[in-house]
Amino acid sequence: MGIKDNKYYKEWFKGAWPYLTGAILLSLFQIVTLVTTGNPWGVSGVLANWGAWIFEAVGGNVDKWYYFSSEGAQRTLEGGLLNHGGSIRNIGIIVGALLAVLLASGFKIKKIKSMKQVVAAVIGGLLMGYGARIGFGCNIGALYSGIASFSLSGWVFGLFLFLGAIVGSKMLVKYFM
Amino acid sequence: MKEVELDCYGEACPVPLVKAQNKLKEMEVGDVLIVQIDHSCAMKNVPEWARKEGHNVEVEEIDDGEWEVIIEKMK
Repeated sequence: MGIKDNKYYKEWFKGAWPYLTGAILLSLFQIVTLVTTGNPWGVSGVLANWGAWIFEAVGGNVDKWYYFSSEGAQRTLEGGLLNHGGSIRNIGIIVGALLAVLLASGFKIKKIKSMKQVVAAVIGGLLMGYGARIGFGCNIGALYSGIASFSLSGWVFGLFLFLGAIVGSKMLVKYFM
Repeated sequence: MKEVELDCYGEACPVPLVKAQNKLKEMEVGDVLIVQIDHSCAMKNVPEWARKEGHNVEVEEIDDGEWEVIIEKMK
């Protein structure tokens, strides 16, 4: 019997896990993150550092930027990618996601279908990135970790996330389909 | 009875679901809609919606990361 037909292969690697299993595992791991690093789990804040490093690599300078002006932020930027726990964690997320699709033999490089798709992706990415920084977090740092820390801000963030998603879906159907 | 293919390759959620819903509305009872997808979350929400609506649904793996959701319109 080939591994493709193995019951455990199908259950563990091929098929999607139930949402509940995912939720429980994420909750456990974010507790581990909080306990070991002293900071709640976040994803998009790390991307701002990646942006700063790329900007510096091409000759830019962010020393005077308000966002990076604190001593801690400067220390993180000077320490570099490999000394930054959040960066390692984000790389882990990317590598882990790749490993999961490879194990399920579901890897595929997708075609770009239309210019509309590119425009939608660029606008969406810029809005999400901007919003996540101006709101001090994304759906992980502000929503998930916010609620997990018994902070009211997480719930407020969640409410407006829903409202934004409704508007965004309507726009998607109207302009980008 | 006719068979319609809906090319949703390269499209992310929720686009395949919305397209499938719109297409199926135009079709007659007994017609078959084949939704071609390569976004794994569409493999969850497209069959889920169609089954809830009471249609006959089958999912076939065509290639690595490519699936066809075959929906027979029942009502």
